[in-house]
Amino acid sequence: MVWTLGAPVPEEAPLPSSPPPGPGTAGRLPGSRAAAAPRGPGRRLLDRTLARPSTAAWIGLVAVTVFFGVQAPDLLTAAGAAGVLDTAALLGIGALAVGLLLIAGHIDLSIGMVAVSSALATGLLVGEAGWGIWPALAASLAGALLVGLLNGWLVVRTGLPSFLVTLAAHLVLQGTALALTRAIAGRTVLQGLGDAPGWSSARAAFDSSVQWGDGTFRISIVWWLGLTACAGWALWRTRLGNAVFAIGGARRAARELGVPVQRTTLTLFCGTAAAGWLVGTLGLVRITTADGDPSLMPAIEFLVAAVIGGCLLTGGYGSAVGTAVGALLYGVARFGVTLAGWDPLWFQAFLGVLLLVALLANGIVRTRLRAVPLS
Amino acid sequence: MSSTQGHAPLLEMHGIVKTFPGVRALDGVDLDVRAGEVHCLLGQNGAGKSTLIKVLAGAHQPDGGRITWRGEEVTLGSPQAAMSLGIATIYQELDLVSGLTVADNIFLGREPARFGITRAAVANAAASRLLTRLGHPEIRPTAEVGSLSAAAQQMVSMARALSQDARLIVMDEPSAVLDNEEVERLFAVVRDLTASDVAVVYISHRLEEIRQIGDRITVLKDGATVATGLPTRETPTREVITLMTGRAIEYVFPERRARAASDQAPLLEVQGLSLRGSFSDVSFSVRPGEIVGLAGLVGAGRSEILETVFGARRATTGTVRVGGKRLRTGDVGGAVAAGVGLAPEERKSQALLLGDSVYRNISISSLARFARGGFLARGSERAAASEQVRSLDVRPADVDREVRTLSGGNQQKVVLARWLLRECRVLLLDEPTRGVDVGARSEIYALVRDLADRGVAVVVVSSEIPEVLGLADRVLVVADGAVVAEERADALDEHRVLDLVMEGTAHQGVPVPATTQHEGDVA
Repeated sequence: MVWTLGAPVPEEAPLPSSPPPGPGTAGRLPGSRAAAAPRGPGRRLLDRTLARPSTAAWIGLVAVTVFFGVQAPDLLTAAGAAGVLDTAALLGIGALAVGLLLIAGHIDLSIGMVAVSSALATGLLVGEAGWGIWPALAASLAGALLVGLLNGWLVVRTGLPSFLVTLAAHLVLQGTALALTRAIAGRTVLQGLGDAPGWSSARAAFDSSVQWGDGTFRISIVWWLGLTACAGWALWRTRLGNAVFAIGGARRAARELGVPVQRTTLTLFCGTAAAGWLVGTLGLVRITTADGDPSLMPAIEFLVAAVIGGCLLTGGYGSAVGTAVGALLYGVARFGVTLAGWDPLWFQAFLGVLLLVALLANGIVRTRLRAVPLS
Repeated sequence: MSSTQGHAPLLEMHGIVKTFPGVRALDGVDLDVRAGEVHCLLGQNGAGKSTLIKVLAGAHQPDGGRITWRGEEVTLGSPQAAMSLGIATIYQELDLVSGLTVADNIFLGREPARFGITRAAVANAAASRLLTRLGHPEIRPTAEVGSLSAAAQQMVSMARALSQDARLIVMDEPSAVLDNEEVERLFAVVRDLTASDVAVVYISHRLEEIRQIGDRITVLKDGATVATGLPTRETPTREVITLMTGRAIEYVFPERRARAASDQAPLLEVQGLSLRGSFSDVSFSVRPGEIVGLAGLVGAGRSEILETVFGARRATTGTVRVGGKRLRTGDVGGAVAAGVGLAPEERKSQALLLGDSVYRNISISSLARFARGGFLARGSERAAASEQVRSLDVRPADVDREVRTLSGGNQQKVVLARWLLRECRVLLLDEPTRGVDVGARSEIYALVRDLADRGVAVVVVSSEIPEVLGLADRVLVVADGAVVAEERADALDEHRVLDLVMEGTAHQGVPVPATTQHEGDVA
């Protein structure tokens, strides 16, 4: 039986598990920590660094890079870096969008299926209807945004958990996209799209690359880094960014203070849908094939990367850079497992361990954040 | 302040009614607030203060009544509507976004921005000015709020209210997380505000504080205004307390048995029990067959004492023994195993599975008795519960009925039956007659006395002093987290208890967190 008793203790109850106050606060009353405690500037900088959302992911990234660098020295060559970055880019674009949604206290499981479905839709329009690639891409983007709007609208209107709403969207998309594709084209793998009008400009936008040493660095990396920079800046310096944090961190306050909760939520769901479309498009243009095999586009790994990057499932906490580091960590591990010659199946187990370690580390970081007042 | 006396009130609320499903939270509240005054709102937990300020903040829509703001009737249809009129609310549970900076939090929803891009420099400078005005220039506007102490976060909330250019600021127990010095600074801020004609509605349980800062008092009881516009300094504390706790009807208390078991060893021994920030150095013992009452104001630490004895809160120092055996602190399971039962104050949320049947509510603490190889023997479970229902005279005597459908008194009996079935030796009762009909109260009293006569050691907490005096054999008077007196119940009367309560508060001064006397124990 669980008893929850009484009103909250008037003081931030010092739980026995919270770390002891630092030397500067010894003997003080808990309420008086605002008074500046003497604390060396170096120590303060260290504490503040430790309290960033992405700290655990950075440490993990270094550790995993060193580990696989030893196991598979090829990882540290230009070719290795290009491979890692390419993997990280495709994942990171989705993780970024999911991360923003997580900060706002929501979740989107349908992003992977949006990627698959929008690639299939583009493929159908090009291959079966004979559209040019650009109109087809525009149409599939519109479709993806529609899915995002619907997800967001359901969440905002009904108050249903976004986990369930987007899980439903995931299933619906998976069934519909594949069944429709098979009904129309007679198969679920649409190949040979490379002859469509506008293909060369589409390749320039989504599949150009730069050779540097023996590594082929693809344009997906530019998309990823560019979007991450934009999102990071938006979180930090725009009203939208403040709204995202406020919705996830203190929804009632946000609503009462006039933060546009619904509009922001809708925007974010459209953001994940658009990110899904971009991921699908980058893949489609690269291999000139739309493949409906859902196992190629897992739903959960975007979420995993965002969480490794320090976004809290409960909302209100996280960063854009964190999602990028999480994606990079994922890329290093995935590519490292391959280069080290392990059975690729080990990667899933490794990812699970990584996720758990990241969660625990983030927990410690957050406790520290609370324990060390900065002013 | 006096310059605005006689002016039309800034805010007038008249006959405000607010009902929630099954509860009439506000039932005719009147409140008038003048510009430049500190208007204190007093009332016990559940008196309707929170609902009232939510109505005032536009978060709840009243079902009846009239609100007049600066002489014009208004509808506070949303929090933004209230805010745009100039009504700002600082809630007790701070609604700050820990991931954002101080400045972002202060201007959330109204950030200085150009094309959606926030102008951090402008916001930071303005935040800095506000925080300096609040006497906290050391809080950096760029600091992340999650990294601040509770007191500093309170200041950020306050700065947010100030930044809205409010004409009326509602402060819900603002001193709860502050220490002495910070309360003084808060008062300085409040005085500064009122000097510039801002009105403050101040909610606090600490009467001493209200005397220091307040101008007039409105007292709420059971969702209605029982007194309004009382001058803070001239109104005797006793009168205020009587208004808060006053009752209209005398209850019938069961007779005390003279033999109150003075020869037996104590069953419950509490020694030097302290909970940081709540109460300190509480010692008492209860013999089998004895009822000990804890009297004091709401917020004095009575419920916390019970909960700490029960293990629901982890004591900072001190020991609890039951039948000579020491209980591990913070271990509810251990306490229950040792035969301690708690009937908590918030019966519906903390003690009962409202949607479940009477018998399952009764048997839930004794399920091991009815388990047969991992399955529950429903028959014997129901039979045992039926026996309790009969012996406590729960009406209707139907063990399959949903607990939700019972009256307050009968729900309380179900909670008692649970602990009786568990053969509990020490019973802790927190406000046992809260929400119980007047008529049914005497029944509960008789029942409690009957339990004591069967050898149970009982501790009763109640805000109603006559209840404690009438029911208990011995009474501990609690004020500001300390026991200020312990006497036989028949040697006390209501006014003597109130004197002790106020004396205790006066000696202790404004919010002294109990542990100041034990700094060595802290850290």
